[in-house]
Amino acid sequence: MDSLDLQDIQGIIARGYGNLNAAAYLLLHIQDATLTKPWLAKLADQVQTSQDRPGNRCLNLAITYQGLAALGLPESSLSTFPTEFQEGMTEPNRSRVLGDHGSNNPQFWQWGGTHPAQPTVHLLLLLYARDDRQLAELVAELVEPFPASGIKLIGKLDTQPLKDEQGGFREHFGFRDAISQPLIEGLHPSRAPEHTIKAGEFILGYPNEYNLLTESPRVKPELDPHNLLPLGEFGSHDLGRNGSYLVFRQLSQDVVGFWRFLDRATQHADGSSNPDARLHLAAKMVGRWPSGTSLVQSPDGDDPSVGDKNNFAYHHEDAQGLRCPFGAHVRRSNPRDSLGPAPGTEQSIAVNKTHRLLRRGRTYGAPISDSFDPDEILTAQSPGERGIHFICINANISRQFEFVQHTWINNPKFSGLYDETDPLIGDRSPGKLGNTNRFTEPACPFRNRTHELPQFVVVRGGAYFFLPGINALRYLATLA
Amino acid sequence: MTHQETLTVVASIQPEQMDALRNVLQTIQQNVEHNDLIPFARFPQVHFARFVIMESVIDPVGGRAIPAQLAFSSCIDTPLKTYLRSLVETAGSGLDQVFSHCQGYPSPQQRTPRSRLAYLRRHQKKTQTFYVNTVGRTVQQVQQEADLRDKIEHFLDHDLPRMSPFDAASVRRAIQNFVKQEPALAWALTPVARPGWLWQLQEKLHFAIGLLLILLLGLLFLPFVPLFIILLRWHEETAPHPRQNPNFRLSQFHRLHLAQDEDFLSQNQFTVVGFVKPGWFRLATLRVILELANFVTRHVFNNGDLGTVPLLNLHGVDTIHFANWVVIDGGRRVLFMSNYDGNLEDYMNDFINKVAWGLNIIFGHGIDYPKTQWLVKGGARDEQVYKAVLRKYQIRTQVWYAAYPQLSAINIRNNAEIRAGLFQPLTAAEEQAWLLRF
Repeated sequence: MDSLDLQDIQGIIARGYGNLNAAAYLLLHIQDATLTKPWLAKLADQVQTSQDRPGNRCLNLAITYQGLAALGLPESSLSTFPTEFQEGMTEPNRSRVLGDHGSNNPQFWQWGGTHPAQPTVHLLLLLYARDDRQLAELVAELVEPFPASGIKLIGKLDTQPLKDEQGGFREHFGFRDAISQPLIEGLHPSRAPEHTIKAGEFILGYPNEYNLLTESPRVKPELDPHNLLPLGEFGSHDLGRNGSYLVFRQLSQDVVGFWRFLDRATQHADGSSNPDARLHLAAKMVGRWPSGTSLVQSPDGDDPSVGDKNNFAYHHEDAQGLRCPFGAHVRRSNPRDSLGPAPGTEQSIAVNKTHRLLRRGRTYGAPISDSFDPDEILTAQSPGERGIHFICINANISRQFEFVQHTWINNPKFSGLYDETDPLIGDRSPGKLGNTNRFTEPACPFRNRTHELPQFVVVRGGAYFFLPGINALRYLATLA
Repeated sequence: MTHQETLTVVASIQPEQMDALRNVLQTIQQNVEHNDLIPFARFPQVHFARFVIMESVIDPVGGRAIPAQLAFSSCIDTPLKTYLRSLVETAGSGLDQVFSHCQGYPSPQQRTPRSRLAYLRRHQKKTQTFYVNTVGRTVQQVQQEADLRDKIEHFLDHDLPRMSPFDAASVRRAIQNFVKQEPALAWALTPVARPGWLWQLQEKLHFAIGLLLILLLGLLFLPFVPLFIILLRWHEETAPHPRQNPNFRLSQFHRLHLAQDEDFLSQNQFTVVGFVKPGWFRLATLRVILELANFVTRHVFNNGDLGTVPLLNLHGVDTIHFANWVVIDGGRRVLFMSNYDGNLEDYMNDFINKVAWGLNIIFGHGIDYPKTQWLVKGGARDEQVYKAVLRKYQIRTQVWYAAYPQLSAINIRNNAEIRAGLFQPLTAAEEQAWLLRF
């Protein structure tokens, strides 16, 4: 296998920069591309690669389809990008597949949506720094030349890391997050073969899990006279090599609503709270305990002492979902060895590997309770916006992100279920199917069902981005 | 027991009537269950039905123009005779409004149930291969068993009396008592009708004679196997391969007009019509394979699963309700229609990952299909090229009716198991396993 050209691969693919606590995302609109291109050329030198160790600050950059068009990439090249990237996240048929209707409707989004008054997102800058002060400096330095570079700053999305006492990342509902991540073959030391995925699933130009090269955007040779790009298919030059696609969704979490619902659903007969049952149902919905320990690893209660919280599979321990329900969020979003062909075997894991996502998102907004204590959350007066900037990287948006979202998260029929979607983030009324707002916990002698789950997570913005290799970025800056 | 049949009618469309026909079909689709023209929900035997317009095309081999045609297809419970009769009688004027845009339909004065029936019969095409998820399961059974399951779920949620001991046996007994007291579920007190002995005998004979015939013909064919292999490999190696063609990339196919009909329900439809590769060898091989496939779907893959062969460690797909392959245009094209669970990306991945060999052996004879080796290897395993070709040859399904759109094939099977186990004597472990079906 070709070794990875780390110098050309953006750093966000290799690392999440977990040691850089501060992060922000800038959404940019190109007003005058002739001014933007020289700026982009300079910026290309600052882009963090996968080769170099991150210093105190890191910058990565991604571009939408409209951004590529604004920079002047010709139609002959734009048309070689995958359909879903060309059409974008908000194409109406796609919205139906992704569950972006009702309160998720892109016309209500704060950015990236379909409201005509919204400026089109062209560029995304992903900025990371050791602390808030250094991040503020980095942002100020970057923003300063915007007016002279024909760039309008649409918005700045702030982040706020939520760390628990053990230093693990939590999300706002209070559960440890970012435990299951694919390891990229040839990049990350491969300890667990079941989590090690071919580089081509995340980086264009390398074999994927089918041992094929994922379709890569191309440039006609005459449009790359200085040969900045490597040779690609059909004698064209390869614009995609060492690049990838970045899916961004701003997901707002109704934390109080979540715990209030659970509290009501698990009350004693006299109407008083039942904290144990409340936590138990929450864990069943998530598929993990707050510490991150899987329900497969510890079915009856949280056991924070479990060392490797990613070291489990479903089929042999829990084929019937008695520990971790089929519908639980983590079992849906990564079913591991649960599904056909031949659950519990290498064949099942091999198929699962074609639907993995490299997650690089971060939380935003202040936590309601620093200790994530549901009792505190239920009594707190803490309005405001909080959630997760969900970011994932994949080489094939339709087979990876969209598949996970449609066929696993929002599929009422997932794993033999009937009429429920993901209890945390699922679509409560997909298509003409009627309500899908139940949650089933398999149990003995028979299941428990929770009814009328409200929507806990609302999409506030989003877009599909191309995450170019460094050379491709330089090429884009030279477009005539 | 009632088994399943399929009806496919193909008629040429009068060129100047295309838009008018499209409008009629759109009217039907807007309320496909209860429209005034062909209210599909009024036909109790219909599992799935569709109208598809196949636009006029030029055959890339020989350059012959193929006129635009309308295909009407239904997957039904037998007998076909009853369905046809009720179609021409109760939906006669609806059929008139649709087929009067096609060539040769009786003139207004001559439209009678009899002349309509004759028209449909005359334009009926033989389905070469018909896949039925579970042979013998009727629309009525599917709907009744879904209702049974819903009512028991509701009972468990709201009306299960407090009990001690609270164990599988007592919960199951409570469910049994509930069903017994529910007049609307009286049918559930008896198990589903077993296949009649005559039908069973007929199927067994069909299988035995068919197998014998296959073995005999196989033996006769044996001396020609080397020649066949040489021809096959030559054809496979010399056919143009879409991998070498920049136009066969997914990026080249914007299929918004297809996407607008998809993903409203958890079931979906798709229709593909494609040309057979040039030459008698391909067509002859395809025809034999379709016959064999029909034999296999009838006798082997007839119980909820398509393509599982434990001996060969092959794992099939359990998301297809019905599918038909129909050879049309004098053997130049194949019309393929599928009713399945999930969305198209899911469907394609499923087939690539699990039964690529099955796709290859049939669709490998189609123009532009990714290169196969030895009939079964390669082909659909070229993931993105396969997806691009499928999207290229997929056409819009103007009207699509599904009788039980809220159910997946796995749901239907589970419902059937719930009914089957309801009053059967079960061991304690079986009782618990049965309860886990809820």
